[in-house]
Amino acid sequence: MGEILAMTVTFTRGLVAALALAALAACGNTRSDGPTTLDIGRQLVGQVLSGRQSAPAAPAPDPQAMAAEALAVNKGPLIMVGLESLGTTQVLALTGENGGMRTYMTESEQAVILRGFMLTGTRGLGNDLSVAEASGTAALVGAGRSGTAQRTMRYFSADGLERPLVFDCQIGPGPRPGVMIEDCTGHGLSFQNSYLPGAGVSRQWIGPVLGYATVQTLRP
Amino acid sequence: MTPRRTRPTLHTRRLLATAIPAALLALAPMNVAPTAALAEPMIGTMMNRYGLPGLIDTPTAEMLPDATLAATVSVSQLDERTGLTFQLIPRMSVALRYGKFDSTEQRRGYIRDRSFDLRFQILDEAENGWRPAIAVGLQDAVGTGFYSAEYLVATKTLNPRLRVTAGLGWGRLASSGGLGSIIGDRPGPDEGTGGQLNANQWFKGEVAPFAGVQWKATDRLTLAAEYSGDDYACETGDADNCARRPWVSDDDPLKNNINLGFAWQGGPAWQVGGYLLGGKHAGIQVSLALNPKQSPYPSGLEKAPAPVRPRAAPAADPEGWSGAWSADPTAQPAIQRALADALAKEGQTLESMVLTADRAEVRIRNNRYMQQAQAVGRTARLMTRALPPSVDTLVVTSVEDGIPTSSVVMRRADVERLENTEAGQIANAAVLTDAVARPAGLVGTPGTLPRFQWSLRPYYSTGLFDPDEPFRYEVGAALSSSYELLPGLLVKGTLRQRLFGNAEQDAPGTMTVEEYEAMSVEEVTAQNGGVYRVRSDGRMYSGNDSPQVPELTLNWYARPTPTTYTRVTVGLLERMYAGVSGEALWKPVNSPLGLGVEINRVRKRDFRDAFEFIDYEVTTGHVSAYYEFGNGFVGQVDAGRYLAGDNGATLSLTREFPSGWQVGAFVTKTNLSEEEFGEGSFDKGITIRAPLAWAIGTPTKRTVGGTLGSLNRDGGQRLRVDGRLYDTVRDSHGTRMYDGWGKFWR
Repeated sequence: MGEILAMTVTFTRGLVAALALAALAACGNTRSDGPTTLDIGRQLVGQVLSGRQSAPAAPAPDPQAMAAEALAVNKGPLIMVGLESLGTTQVLALTGENGGMRTYMTESEQAVILRGFMLTGTRGLGNDLSVAEASGTAALVGAGRSGTAQRTMRYFSADGLERPLVFDCQIGPGPRPGVMIEDCTGHGLSFQNSYLPGAGVSRQWIGPVLGYATVQTLRP
Repeated sequence: MTPRRTRPTLHTRRLLATAIPAALLALAPMNVAPTAALAEPMIGTMMNRYGLPGLIDTPTAEMLPDATLAATVSVSQLDERTGLTFQLIPRMSVALRYGKFDSTEQRRGYIRDRSFDLRFQILDEAENGWRPAIAVGLQDAVGTGFYSAEYLVATKTLNPRLRVTAGLGWGRLASSGGLGSIIGDRPGPDEGTGGQLNANQWFKGEVAPFAGVQWKATDRLTLAAEYSGDDYACETGDADNCARRPWVSDDDPLKNNINLGFAWQGGPAWQVGGYLLGGKHAGIQVSLALNPKQSPYPSGLEKAPAPVRPRAAPAADPEGWSGAWSADPTAQPAIQRALADALAKEGQTLESMVLTADRAEVRIRNNRYMQQAQAVGRTARLMTRALPPSVDTLVVTSVEDGIPTSSVVMRRADVERLENTEAGQIANAAVLTDAVARPAGLVGTPGTLPRFQWSLRPYYSTGLFDPDEPFRYEVGAALSSSYELLPGLLVKGTLRQRLFGNAEQDAPGTMTVEEYEAMSVEEVTAQNGGVYRVRSDGRMYSGNDSPQVPELTLNWYARPTPTTYTRVTVGLLERMYAGVSGEALWKPVNSPLGLGVEINRVRKRDFRDAFEFIDYEVTTGHVSAYYEFGNGFVGQVDAGRYLAGDNGATLSLTREFPSGWQVGAFVTKTNLSEEEFGEGSFDKGITIRAPLAWAIGTPTKRTVGGTLGSLNRDGGQRLRVDGRLYDTVRDSHGTRMYDGWGKFWR
């Protein structure tokens, strides 16, 4: 018993010293960058305590107010994207355009890539959609026609490969006028995207982990 | 030079093959309910006391998902077992275990012993037929053989909740209830130096049946019952049936051969369990499992890359398209400065650059991304934003330790056209080549050299598996700095200050520190069976409370030919040795084969003083061959002379993953006899390296891990010099570059 006690004491003292050490952790000008030991500890503790996704820290600001403020500050094209699974809504500004593809970014440099009104990719979200190939859907929705199309969605998996998921989709008008619905199934998964291209509004599925995003054009 | 439209190489074919949507979902990091993975053999739900899928003490024919790394700690009234299991390939599991069991015959009252297991699934279960999965296994196949057993086992899924298992066991699994022997008597265990394969015992002696059933009561709870032939003869004082006298202990005998247990799956990564052995002894266990192929943030949490900026039409920028700008002497410095600043924000150092009217080559040092392809992709994106439109060929050359190691050549039009498409397309359009040694017009980025870097970090060092003190540790602060004078020429040093720990200075054997220090090299050699203590006195170097200099070196890296790299390292090379180390490596960028030679002249360092030496000097050296077998397997053979002057060879096999994970094993056999070598007979161990970015999502090249050597002996020991060439150049060579290529547009 005495031995165990002695050990506990050593460990407790060790812990204090370790904290002190972490406080001075990793300063320097070395180029090989990355998080500090303290960041890593905080993140790992966070992962263990709260599961993977940390809860939104503050009550989400009112999307209307956020949109109005963004429109006032930024004179370029803007979109607002809500991630349903994370319960977040953010305004993204256009940062680049290549062919028909537009890259929008948040202030913290997470990105959503659109091809027209179609969501084609995300960046910086941890379980990103690398690329969605859905030109068939885009053509049908754009023309307001019913039909079937195949959609391929590629995800970077931790084994280093882009894993494609291929879905068979049924496109047709929705219950409300102007709304087009895309019903997709494949790999035991199914999702339903809805588009209102004229109004620049849509709800599109990003992937199995992130779920649905709502995309709204604030300024084209 | 414009890149040729290329034939798909072996690597790019692999990337493009991913476009075929076959058997792909099994590995996709989906939150979809963990349906029994499609392409994998029968997967176990419960870990047994040996840390492998099974029942309680007995094995099953189940496997773990490919590449799973699992750790199990099992504590009972009879023993403690800590094991590490790796699913090497889908059909083969290997395990390394550290056990502690009571012994009334030992001074300490217990024995600590390591063991190694292997299980191979011969046949997978026929999903709709009667055929069960069948596996064969060796338990404690190397060394003293306390847990030594072999088995042939069949497992069948009767319904999604119920699996039954039956098998035949030899050795420990037949310590009671034997049916007789099939192939002769089982010889006694290895009483000598240990560390040998016990092949002469395998499948010999009594054979006994075992059987069991596991029932998934709920999605999380599995119950198991088994009949086992293992009656724990040694542990329970049955000296007549215990293979070795020194193993006998005096615990209460088991009442019967029935073991009962449960496992509760707390989360995807962990399970806890409990069991009752023979109606008498209770125990609990915990297992953790993780898989390098699955990460919480597979695509990373790094900031989005800058979008590619397509060029304006020629009519809109006639001057830029004409290339006339290249005659302006202020153009390149301004472009280089802008690009260097943008790259710095991406964690890349722009070391130097060649810029002509139609071609730009940038030489970058990647300080941030585990996958070099991601650094290359982000650099290519930035080049499209910084370079005038007439520049048509983009070359991104990777630089490691000042030497260019490979070049990715791309047509700018391809980068523009293929942005954010399937990564295999740009892989096919780009060409990976050996870098040109010193291209005309190469301009160093001003202010990058000479470069002084320093960092102050905590350090932790641990020593495991000492029978008296299973976990030794030391914690302190380390000040590291490097000064790069010219490309490839740098001075590096580390200063360490211990703060606390339980690793104290200790002499080998029963000697005191003073006694050991007073001995001459000849006396140490004579006392150690004719072999000088080149490593086994390692603990003489620990427990020092004054500042330490683990290394202080002058390093010179060069590339005499486009496919040959050289290194010269002079100074305090490692904590125990100082001297000169020279190395040359032949490794064409797209070749799976590498050949190297290394020669070192070193002197042993003093136990305490940084700049003092012990009178032991030796020349060591190796010729090495490295080969990438594909699918992440890399083999290495080093043959030559080791630190104790012994000659021999080391064979290593590593499985590495695109995420940066590495799991490997090595064996070294030299011309020392088993007696000279001592316990363990030859050197062996495993290495594990895990990238931090895999666990936390934030991009960083830092990894954690280390080598789990078997015993710190003196035979087959190599110099631990930092910065060996093969690992230095490989990140940007074919296999690794293309393994990480999925991150090009990320």
